Amino acid sequence: MASTTLRAVTHRLTTTPVEQLPSITAFLATSLSDCSDLLSAPQGQKAGKGDSDHAVQIHKLKTRLASLVQDRTVEGRWTAVVLAKATVEAGQWEILRGYEPIVRGLIGILAKPDPLSTRKMCIITLTRIFHLTYQYPTLVREITTPHLPGFVTAVLNLVSTLVKTASGSVRKPKPNNPFTELALHAILELIPRHPTIFRPFGTQLSSLLAEILSSSAHVFFPESVQEVAVQVFASLYRCAPKDKSGAEWIDRCKSTVLSAHRAADHVFRAVSEQWESVDPSVVHTKQHYSDEAGDSSADALGFQGWSGIHSGVNRLITLLRVLSGIISMPAAATVPIPLGSILDLTSRLASVTVPSSEANQSGVQFNSQISRDEREVLWAELPRIHVACMNLLEDVVCLLENSTASISQNIVDQVTWIFKSENYSRDVRTASYKLLSSVVRIHGPAMAKQTVASTMGIIRSSCNDVLPEYEDQNASGKSQSDSKSKNKGGTGTANADSFLDPELRKKQQVKAGPQFPHLQDAASAFLRDFLASISPQLLSPSIRAEVDRTIILTSDKKAMLASVLNPIPAAKGRGAGSSLMPFLVRGYSDEMAVEALVRPRMPVIMTAPELDAYVEMEEDEEAEEIADRPVVANPQSSTFMTGIAMPTRAPTTEASAASSVQKRTYFEETAAGVQSSTAEQQSAQIKKPRIDAEEDTPASVPVFQPSKIAATMVPKQVPAVSQPSAPQPVSEAVDVATLSVDDSDDELPALNIDPDTDDEDEDDDEDTAMDG
Amino acid sequence: MLSESFIASTLASAKTPTATLRDVGICVQELQPSPQLRSTFKKSSTSTNCLAVTPSHIFAAQADKAVVHVYSREKGNQEALVPFPERIRSIAVADAKYGDVLILGTEGGRLILWETCTGRQLATTASHLQPVTSIVVDPTSNFILSGSDDASIHVWSIPNILSFSKPAHSGRDRQPANAPIRTFSNHRGGITSLAVGHSSGRHNIAVSTAKDNTAIAWDYQTGQVLRTYLLPFFATCVALDPVDRAFYVGYENGSAQSVDLYRSQSSQHPLHDASLQATPAQVSAEDRWLPPAADSGTVKALTLSYDGTILLSAHESGKVLSWNIARRKFTASVADYTHPVTNLVMLSPSGLLSPSQELKRVTHTIIKPRIDNSFADPAHAPGAVPAEYKFHTHVVTSSAQSRKPSPFSQALTHAFFPESMIEEGLAELAALQSPDALNPVRVVAGTASTDHSAPTPMEEDSRVADLERELATLQKKVALNDTARQANVSEVVQLRSTVTQLQDYINELHEKQEAAHADRVKRQARKEERETKRRQAWLAAEKKGRNGDAAMKKMEIDEDVLTSDSDDQSDE
Repeated sequence: MASTTLRAVTHRLTTTPVEQLPSITAFLATSLSDCSDLLSAPQGQKAGKGDSDHAVQIHKLKTRLASLVQDRTVEGRWTAVVLAKATVEAGQWEILRGYEPIVRGLIGILAKPDPLSTRKMCIITLTRIFHLTYQYPTLVREITTPHLPGFVTAVLNLVSTLVKTASGSVRKPKPNNPFTELALHAILELIPRHPTIFRPFGTQLSSLLAEILSSSAHVFFPESVQEVAVQVFASLYRCAPKDKSGAEWIDRCKSTVLSAHRAADHVFRAVSEQWESVDPSVVHTKQHYSDEAGDSSADALGFQGWSGIHSGVNRLITLLRVLSGIISMPAAATVPIPLGSILDLTSRLASVTVPSSEANQSGVQFNSQISRDEREVLWAELPRIHVACMNLLEDVVCLLENSTASISQNIVDQVTWIFKSENYSRDVRTASYKLLSSVVRIHGPAMAKQTVASTMGIIRSSCNDVLPEYEDQNASGKSQSDSKSKNKGGTGTANADSFLDPELRKKQQVKAGPQFPHLQDAASAFLRDFLASISPQLLSPSIRAEVDRTIILTSDKKAMLASVLNPIPAAKGRGAGSSLMPFLVRGYSDEMAVEALVRPRMPVIMTAPELDAYVEMEEDEEAEEIADRPVVANPQSSTFMTGIAMPTRAPTTEASAASSVQKRTYFEETAAGVQSSTAEQQSAQIKKPRIDAEEDTPASVPVFQPSKIAATMVPKQVPAVSQPSAPQPVSEAVDVATLSVDDSDDELPALNIDPDTDDEDEDDDEDTAMDG
Repeated sequence: MLSESFIASTLASAKTPTATLRDVGICVQELQPSPQLRSTFKKSSTSTNCLAVTPSHIFAAQADKAVVHVYSREKGNQEALVPFPERIRSIAVADAKYGDVLILGTEGGRLILWETCTGRQLATTASHLQPVTSIVVDPTSNFILSGSDDASIHVWSIPNILSFSKPAHSGRDRQPANAPIRTFSNHRGGITSLAVGHSSGRHNIAVSTAKDNTAIAWDYQTGQVLRTYLLPFFATCVALDPVDRAFYVGYENGSAQSVDLYRSQSSQHPLHDASLQATPAQVSAEDRWLPPAADSGTVKALTLSYDGTILLSAHESGKVLSWNIARRKFTASVADYTHPVTNLVMLSPSGLLSPSQELKRVTHTIIKPRIDNSFADPAHAPGAVPAEYKFHTHVVTSSAQSRKPSPFSQALTHAFFPESMIEEGLAELAALQSPDALNPVRVVAGTASTDHSAPTPMEEDSRVADLERELATLQKKVALNDTARQANVSEVVQLRSTVTQLQDYINELHEKQEAAHADRVKRQARKEERETKRRQAWLAAEKKGRNGDAAMKKMEIDEDVLTSDSDDQSDE
C-alpha cells in the first residue's frame, strides 16, 4: 500500500504545476510520513523486484526535491522546504544519505529574499537535519561538517550584523528581527550536539548574546527572545576546547555569581547591608554616591554597563536566570554545582526587604548618603529581584530533589523572610508558593514544628488566594468597615450600588475583576502539598479548619483527597475528627481514586476464606468450566499471588489430588472431588481463617486424613481469630469458625458494594441460604 | 528487553570457589528471563546489611575492617576505598532514586552520614549502646531507622541531621539536632533485621525482627506497636511484600516463612485495629517453608522480585534460593557462590517505561569524605552554607525545558510542520500572488479586536467609539501600506517575468542564429560539391569529345530541381 502512495506522491509532485504545489503540500507531506516504513527501509541489500521499484521512486522524489529547492518560483522553494522536512522525518538515515545537494540548496534559500515562512521553516528543517545526523559519524562527515558552519553563518547573518573590531569580529543584533527567536532556538538545539563546529563562533555568539541580554531601554527584545538567549548563553561553555569545558563551566558559573554581586553592590547602595559573604573572595565595589546608580564598565561576562536602578535590577534578574540556566541545563560532564555560593547570593538578596514603614528601619539600615527617591525606587523593584531569587532556588530544588536536605532549612528561612515583608506582591506570593511547595513535597514529613509554625502566614495567605472573590463578600465587608468608621465619626464613601440593588447581593457573583490563574494554581498546589506532606499534628486546629474550609469551597479534588488521607488527629475527650470525605464523595463519586478510598479492595483481595464454603454446590458447574478452559485464571480465587501462579499450577494439581485438601482455592477442590461429606466440609471451614497453613508439605505426600487436619488445625486457628484464650476442643472451634464465617457473610454486602465482587456476593448469599 | 537482576555479596570463608568466582565478593546476577551471572566485583567481604546499591555505585562495608569499598557500576571496577574511624556494621542509602547520601552504622553505636556528591560527612550522637546492625531508610528519604544489638531501634530525621541551619529551638527542647527523634524499645533481644513499608504517606509501617523470637509491625511516625508476632525461632532477616500485605522472614535453619498481615474480614486495616494490637499473634513453626536440603545454612538475607511473586533467600552455604510465594514452597536454586551470601539487593527491572524512574542526573564519581574543616559554619554567619559546598553531578536531562514546550521544539519534532505554520506560509504565498485578497482578512482581524474590547463598561462607550475610529483610520493606513507593498511586489514580480521572457527571447534568437549559421555552412558545402561534380562532368564530356557545355547545361537543369528541394528542406 505504501508503495502506491509513494508512487502517487512522486507522480503528483512531478506533474502538478509549480504554482499549484503549495496547496497540496500538506497532503503530500502527510502521505510521505505515512510511507516512512518504505523510506527508512535499508536499500541495496535485497535486490528484489519491488525494492528496485521503490529505489527508483525514492530517487525520483529526491531528484525532484533537489530541483524544487533550486526552483525559480517562490512556491516551488516553499514546497521544497516543507517536503524536505517531511522526507527526512520519514526516512531518517536512509534519506539523509545523499541529501547533501538538498542541504546546500536549503542553506542557499536562507540568503534569498524569500517569504518569512519559507526561511523560518528552512531554519527548522536544517536544524532537524543537523540534529539527526548527530548520531551517525558517516552523515556528520558527509553533511554536518561541511555545511553546518555555512548554516550558522547564514543564520547569524539573518539576525545580526558583523562588525570588525581590533580584537576580532563582533556581532550586533538587528533590532526587531522576526528570526531572532527562531535562530537562537536552532543554535541552542545544535550547540550540545556539535560543539566543535560552534567553537569558531564562540566569541561572535557571546558578543551577540551579551548584546541581547544587556540591552538597555532603547533596544527592545521580547521576553521569549531573552529566555532563549539566556539558555544559549548558559550553554556557550560547551564551545570551549573539549578538555577545558569543565573549567569553562566553573568559570562561567563563578563570574555570573560575581557579576550578580557587583550589580547588587550598585543596586543596593541605598541601604547599608548587614550581610557578609561566606566566601572571602567576594568584595564590595567602591562607588560614587553623587552619580546616578549605575555601572559604566562591562563586566566579566561581557555585559555592557547600565545606569538607573531599573536597568540594574533587570541586569540582576538576567544574571540570576543565566545562573539557573547554567546549573539546570544538561551538561557535558560532571560539574560541581556551587550550592554554597548560590545560597550566599540569594541570602544577600533576600536580606534586603521592604520595610513595613519608612520610620521603621527594622532589619534594614538606610544609607544616609542616598536620596529618599532612589530608596523608594529600590523598594518598588525589590519584589522582582526576590521572585528571580526564588525561581533560582526552585530550579535548584527541582534538580537536586532529596539531596537538598542540607539546604532546605536555609531555603525555607529565606522564603518566609521575604514573604513577611513583601506579601502584597502577587508575583512574590506565586513564587513563594511554588518554591515552598517543592520543598515541602520532599522534606515535609520531617519538618520540625518551628519550621511549620514559621510558614503559617503563607498558608493563611494561600487560602485567601485560592478562594474566588465574591461581590457579595466584598460589599458586606466594606459596609462593615464603613459602619466602623462611622462609629468613629469619620465619613466614608460607601459603595452605593451595593445598597441600591439587593438582587446583586443575593446572587453570589464572582467578582468581575482580573483573575490570576497562575497565582491560584500555585496556591492550591501549595495547599495540597502542604496537607499531604506535613504532619497534621503540627498544625493548629484553627489553621486546619481554615484550610479545610477553603478546600470545600473550591472543591479541589486533589486537595480534598490530601485532607481525607491526612485526617485531623483525634484529640482526647473528643470524638472522631471530622473528615471531608462526604464532600469528596458528593463531588467526585465517579473518580477512581475516590472509589478506591471509600471502598478499598485490599482486604478482600488477600483473604478469601469463604471460598471453601461454596465449593460443593458449584462443583459441577465449575468442572464444566474447567473442561472448557483448562488453563485460566480462577475468577473466584482473587488471592493475588495464587492468581498469578495459576496458569502453571492448574494442570499439575488437577493431575494429583493429593495436595488438594491443603489448597485454599476451590479449583483443586473441585478437581479432587472429595469434598462431599459434611465432616470434611466442616474441616475445610475450620481452615478458613488461616491462609498460610501447611504449605511446607511437598505435593508428593499422601492425602491427609480429615481427622488429622482437624487435629493439626486447632492450635493454629486460635490466634487467627485472635482469641487470647487457650486452644479449645475441636467441636467448639468448628462452631466458632462457622459462626464467624456466617457473620462475615452477612456483613459483606455492606462492606463491598463494588461491582467487581458482585458475583462473589451472590454466591455467598446462595451459599448461606444453602447452609441455613 | 525486560529483565530483572539482583546483586549479591558474600563473606569470605575458608572454602575455595570455582575459577570464575575466585576473589569475587559481589555478583550481579540476572534472575529473569534466564538466571545467569552478569558481572562481578572483586576483593570484597561483607557481613549482613553491609551492602548498599545506587544507580551508579555499589558500596560495600568490609567485614572486620573500618573500610568501605566503592565500586562503579558504570565502569565495572573498584573506584575508591574509603577509610572510617570505626568499623562499619551496617550501611544504607537514602533516596533510592539517586542515592546521594550514604548512611553507615558503626560499631560504637553512632551513625555516619556521607553526602557522596559533596564529600560532606556528619556523625550523630552515639545513641546506641551496641553496634548498629541494621539500617533502613523510609520511602520519602526523610527518616532513618537503625537497629542495634542493644534491642532498641532509633528513628532519625535526615534533614535535621544534614541541615546547615537548625530551626530555632525553644528553651525546654535541649535535644541536639543530630540525636534520634524517637526510640522504639519493645524488643527484648538484639535487633536482627528491619524492613520498612512502601507508603510515602503518614501511616507507613516498619517491621523489625529480634533475637527474642518476635517480629513487630509498628508505626515509625508515632512509635506505636501495631502487632507483635511470636515466631517459632528468631528471624535472621525480614522482607516486606511490595504492597505491604505480608512479610517474609528467614531462619537460622535455612527455612523461610511468610506472615500475612491481612487475615480477618474486618473493613479496618488489621494492623490499625486497636483491639488486636495488644495481642501477640502466634506464628506456627509448621507453616515454615522448608529448604530442599538440611545443610543450606542460615538465611542471611531476603529479597522479593518486582512483582512480589518470587522470594529470594541468601544462605550461609553460598546458595541463593528462590521460593514461589503463591505455592509457599521452594522452587529452585538460582546461584551458588560458595562463600556465605550475606546480602541480596534486588534491582528494579530494566526495560520498564516509567517516567518517575528516569534519572535527571548521574553521578560518575563519588567525592570522598573531606576530613578538613571546610564545611564548618562560617564564624560570622552561623547556619549559612559554606562557600566550598558544591554538589558534583552530571545533569543529563533538563528539568526546566520540559515544563513548557516552545513552538520551535514542537515544529522540530513534528512529522513535517505544524498546521499553523503551514497555514501561515500558505497565507503569505497567497498574499504575494493576489494583493486584493489581503484586505478582507485585515477587516476580519479588525472586527475581532473591537469585539475584544467590547466588555468594557458602558460609560466608556464614547471612548470605545473613539478607539474604533482610530482603529479604522489605522486599518485604512495599513491597508494603504499593504496595497502599496502589494503593488511593489506585483511590480517586482512583473519585472521578473519580463526579464525571464526577455531571456527566453534572447535564447530563441541565439538558437535561430546558430541554426542559420549551420545552414549557410551546409549550403556552401553543397554548392562546392555541385561545382566539383559539374567540373568533373564537363571534363568527362570533353574527354569523350562531346560538347562539355551542353552536358553542363543538362546537369544544371537537373540540379536546379534538386537544390530547390534541398533548400526547402533546410528551411524547414
